[in-house]
Parts: sequence; structure tokens; C-alpha cells
Amino acid sequence: MRFPDLLIMSINNLLRRKLRTFLTVLGVTIGTASIVVMISIGVGLKTFTMEQYASSGSLTAIQIYNYGNYSETNDKTNPEDSFMTDDTMKVFEAIPHVTSAYPKLNMNVIMRQGVYEGNVQLYGIPLEAMQSIKLGQGSLPTAETSDMELVVGNMVAQNFYNAKTGKGYWDSGKMPEVDFLGKPVFTIFDTNAYYQSQAPSGEEGQAVAAPKKYMLRTAGMVEGGPEDWNEYSYGVYVDLEKLKTQLKQVFKKNPIPGQPTNKKGKPYSYFVYTEATVNVDDMDHVIEVQKTINNMGYQANSQMEWLEQSQQQSNMVQAALGGIGAVSLFVAAIGIANTMMMSIYERTKEIGVLKVLGCAMGNIRSMFLLEAGFIGFVGGIIGVVLSLIVSLLINKFLAPMFLYGMEGRLSIIPLWLALPSVFFAVLIGMAAGFFPAMRAMKLSPLAAIRNE
Amino acid sequence: MKAEDGKKREPVIRVKNLYKIYRVGETKVKALNGVDFTMYRGEFCAIVGTSGSGKSTLLNMLAGLEKPTRGEIVIAGRHIETLTENQLVAFRREKIGFIFQSYNLLGTMNAVENVALPLSFQGMPRKKRLELAEKYLKLVGLEKVADHMPNQMSGGQQQRVGIARALVVHPQIIFADEPTGNLDSHTTMDVLKLMQKIVREQNQTLIMVTHDDHLATYADRIFHIIDGKIVKIEENGGFQAG
Ligand SMILES: Nc1ncnc2c1ncn2[C@@H]1O[C@H](COP(=O)(O)OP(=O)(O)OP(=O)(O)O)[C@@H](O)[C@H]1O
Ligand SMILES: [Mg+2]
Repeated sequence: MRFPDLLIMSINNLLRRKLRTFLTVLGVTIGTASIVVMISIGVGLKTFTMEQYASSGSLTAIQIYNYGNYSETNDKTNPEDSFMTDDTMKVFEAIPHVTSAYPKLNMNVIMRQGVYEGNVQLYGIPLEAMQSIKLGQGSLPTAETSDMELVVGNMVAQNFYNAKTGKGYWDSGKMPEVDFLGKPVFTIFDTNAYYQSQAPSGEEGQAVAAPKKYMLRTAGMVEGGPEDWNEYSYGVYVDLEKLKTQLKQVFKKNPIPGQPTNKKGKPYSYFVYTEATVNVDDMDHVIEVQKTINNMGYQANSQMEWLEQSQQQSNMVQAALGGIGAVSLFVAAIGIANTMMMSIYERTKEIGVLKVLGCAMGNIRSMFLLEAGFIGFVGGIIGVVLSLIVSLLINKFLAPMFLYGMEGRLSIIPLWLALPSVFFAVLIGMAAGFFPAMRAMKLSPLAAIRNE
Repeated sequence: MKAEDGKKREPVIRVKNLYKIYRVGETKVKALNGVDFTMYRGEFCAIVGTSGSGKSTLLNMLAGLEKPTRGEIVIAGRHIETLTENQLVAFRREKIGFIFQSYNLLGTMNAVENVALPLSFQGMPRKKRLELAEKYLKLVGLEKVADHMPNQMSGGQQQRVGIARALVVHPQIIFADEPTGNLDSHTTMDVLKLMQKIVREQNQTLIMVTHDDHLATYADRIFHIIDGKIVKIEENGGFQAG
């Protein structure tokens, strides 16, 4: 028999018992919808946690810290061996899957503008690393500009206080009116000297001269209002190369604060970094690269290791939710099997007639499998449409409650979920119809002869 | 028959030593008790006997709907008692037409679709088989009710659709188990003459079961069966003037 003929016969048989077909399809619809909705919530939660992690730093980045190693080293080992320098970055970049390694030079500086004064973390990072900073206003510094320009975090102003009253944001709750883009800020690199010059002089002798202030222009502000936190919110970022030049100029032959000194107390000719960021090509390789770096003796952290744990939890939640949905689809499958059995009992004579007239056994089986598959197909399609609607309602009314007011979707139905679930419903329908179909195929043609 | 005596008659059905024994609890029922005969091409055979004599059993076995307990059935050169169920279905699809006592039209299809049904089992495209089916509906005089559903037709009309359905595949052999059992005497004559006429024209073999001796007189040969045995084969030349 030709396939269209088989299909038409099956569909006609389904249409013959409209109410029963409708009820069976309804069962599959509910079964499919509950699986899809349940899994969509799993997907939604997973995506939500992933976004949470991603917002606090790139998921493909590894943070490397190398504080204080050099002070602990004993006489036997060379302290220089554990330094993280520009050469170390090249070593990191040679690790497979690493796309780039950016050092971070960390300085504690004092900035002043008008009456406001603040302790600010100044970070020197390569210009390429600055590309990942999202700016709200202004632009990123370029290699062409000769002056060192600042990119200021959107929450940096919180660290300023009124130098006359000594009161700042944390005391008054009022944001200091520091205008980074409009007016220049004065930066003091030699904080020790500054504090000594500020201290009431006399106790130990000579007063220290106030260190030089450098006027720096702000090129851009990090995106977000004073309340929107991101990983760049609290820092001030400058081009690493310009910062190095600037520091050499400020401190001359003296040791730079934060930089190690050799056994004779003399500074090294190169810079030693306490922090670095290694970027990996894919989320899947982060853990592997992180292990390699840890084995090299550095302390490496990534969002990925935390994410991985919470992903495992999410997977479990998703499996549990999917299981609940699967139960209702299983019940629907029993419904299909039941409908098919009933239909075969009713049509025993008709099936016999088909066999007497020479309908191949395989065709009879296909006819019933198609019927069952068709119930699954229609139920699956309506089920997916239904779950899209339910998903919309969940996101509209339930999500705000569950996500604690944070923005996000509780239920997400990706294409990889929607399409295969229709296919799956067809498969379930056919599986449920398999034994009834086998039974129909084996019915005796004599049933057609008997007159009841 | 006499006119054909000169020609060499070509056998289509050869039955040898056929037994069918049903086991009901402890007792054995010999529905067929050693049957031997030959039927020829173009012949109209009637099988008559009282109720329970084994007529239907014999017919079902010839049509390959049931397996014999013992014996041989050779139809068109093939031993059908050795065929598997799948092969039997294919055999019926190609070689055999079947007319039921209770018509057995499919309730979901109209007259012409019912007639076309066996052709769809052969994989014939829809357009072609509907054309052919219409031709056969015309042959049985039902072109006017071609789009009627079975429940919109009289018993006689339904049976004529059943005959068209049996003939449409152009089978070598047509089996009919009491085809007029549910019809009144007038319609019975119509249907019987129709079957006889068409089968004659197309040189097909028609085997009809009946318990009505009068109906049997339309046949070329009458097989009398009593208690599972063929007791008499009656040559019946020329009575039925048609
Ligand atoms: N499936 C079966 N199981 C047991 N016995 C059977 C079965 N089918 C038929 N018989 C027996 O075989 C015998 C012949 O039955 P069959 O149906 O061939 O009779 P028949 O000649 O067609 O009668 P009728 O004119 O009433 O249709 C009967 O005695 C019947 O009881
Ligand atoms: Mg009978």
C-alpha cells in the first residue's frame, strides 16, 4: 500500500471516533506540555544562574592571584622564580586553549578633586584587556594619546569623602559630587609620603614634603548608575604601559609600593604582578586550564568552578522536574494504548475483511502504528503550543516571585526542546501503539466470515 | 458445458485427501473428512449441503483463510497449505476475490472507494483505481450510488458493491459464501444472474456456497457435501437459461 493511502485510512479511522480521539490527544497534549514546561523551568533556572555568574565576570576568564609568595620564600629557593611577570604571561599564553593573558598592576592611590579626596584602587591593564569594559560615557584610552587617561568605575565616587568634614558616602549616604569627566582629578601615587606630610609634624623630627600631585584626565566612565554593580565598578583603570612609565617617573630609583625588593632592599628592574587574567577560548576548557595554572604554583580562580557545581544541582532539579512531566506523558501513553486496544476490538471484523481482501500484514500494522503516531503528533504539537503559552504566563506572573524581583525568565523553551518533544510524542504514541498494532496484524481473517 | 467439451479443460483448483478436524474439549469434530476434487477455469461451482455439513470450512480452506489438518490444496499450481500467512495474504491479493454473506463493506468509505480498496493494497495510485472502480460499479449497475456510504444503500445494493469489489482486481477465482443469504428472493435472482454473467464473460472461476438447492441450479457443477464428505458432483448443463 502507498503511504498516503495508509495515512488517509488511519486518519479516517481517527475521525470516525472524534470524541475518543480528542480525549486521547488531550492526554498526550497535557503529557507533552507538562514535560516541556517542567524542563523549560530547569532550563530557565540554569540560564538564570549562568547569567548571574556571567554578570560578575566573564565565564571564560581565570583570575590568578600571586600575593605574598615572595615574602614567604626561604633562602633555598630563589624568590624571583615565583614572580608573575610579563614573561609569565607568555607562559600562560602558551597553554592550550588560552587566547590571552593580561597582567594587572594594582596600586593604591589617592585622588583629589575640589574638597573631595578618595582612596582609589588604580589598575594598570593592557589596552586590549580594556576592550571588555563596558562604558557608559566617554571612550576608552588609545595607544595614540600620550597622557595617561583614566577609565573610572561607576561606583568609585563612593570612596570619596569631604576632606574638610571627613564625612563621605558611607557616613552621610550622600554621593560625593565628584565630576570625573568634567573636571580633572589630581592623583597622588606616593601615598606614604602624603600621609606623613599630612600627619601633625614634630614627633620624630623633620616634616616630610608633600609628594607631587599629577593631573589626570578621565577618558570614560564604566557603564551603570551608582547602584549597578559589575566587576569594573570599584576600580580606576589605566593603560598598563603608561602606568609603568608613570611609576618609574614618580618613584625614580626608590622602591615602588607593592613591588618586591631583592635581598639588598633594592627594587627589581621589571614589574611584578599580583594579579592576572587568563582568557580561555571556551567555557568547557576553563577548568582544565585552571588546573594547569594551579599546578604551576599560582592561585587560580574562575567563575566556572562555582558555576559547574551549581550546574550540577540545576541538572538534578531539571531531571526531577522532567521526571514529574514524564509521569503524565506515561499516563498519556497508557491512554493511547487503551484507545488503540478498544479500536481494535471494535474493528476485529473489519481487520479480518482487510486480510481476506489481501491487505498485507505489515500494512495493517503500519495503519495502527500511524494512528497511534498521529495521536502523538497532534498531541505533541498542541502540547508544545500549550507549553509556550504556559511558559509565557509563568514568566509573566510567577517569575517575579521566584527570582526575588530580579530580571530574568523562569521558563525558557529553546528550539532543542520544542522540536524534539513533538518527535518524542510521536515516538511515545508509536511505542504505545506497538503491541495493539501487532495484535491487529495477527488477528484471524476468519473474523470477517463469522456473523455475529 | 457440452460446447466446451472439445477444449482441454484447465484445472485451477485441485484438492486431495483434505481433512479438517476441530478439537472441542475432549471431542473431535471432523468438519472435512477426506475431500478430493478438481475445479476448472471458467467454471461456476456450487457447494451445497445442510447446515453444519462443512461447506464454509471447505471454502475458507480453499481461500487460504484456514489451515487444513491434512491434505493438499493446489491453486493455480501452488500448494497453498504450505504458504505462510504473509504469502497467503499476497496470494489472495493477486488471485482471489471474496464475496461475503454480510457484505462487509467498510463503513468509512463510499461505494466507489470500497470497490477501489483491494486495488490500494496492490499499490495502485488513487486516480487510476477510482477510475477502474467506477467501471466495475457501472458493470453491477450502481453508477448512480457511487458516492453513497454503505449505510445509505439497500442490502442488494451493498452486495452488488461487494461483487464489484471482488471482481475489480480481476481475480482468477471468486469465492462466495452464501452471497444471497441476507437478500429477498427477487434480489437474490438479480445478484446471482449478475455474478454468473460477469464470471462467464471474463472466464473466471466462481465457487459459491449455498444451502438452497434452487440457487445451485444456476451453477455448472454442484458439489453435494454431507458430514464433511463430497457425496455427489452433479453436472448441470444448460438448465439455467439466464
Ligand atoms: N472453529 C471451529 N471450532 C470447532 N468446530 C467448528 C469450527 N468451525 C466449524 N466447526 C464445526 O465444523 C462443522 C462444519 O462447519 P461449517 O461452518 O463448515 O458448516 P456449514 O456447512 O458452513 O454450515 P452453515 O450452512 O450453517 O453455514 C460444524 O459441525 C461446526 O460445528
Ligand atoms: Mg457456513
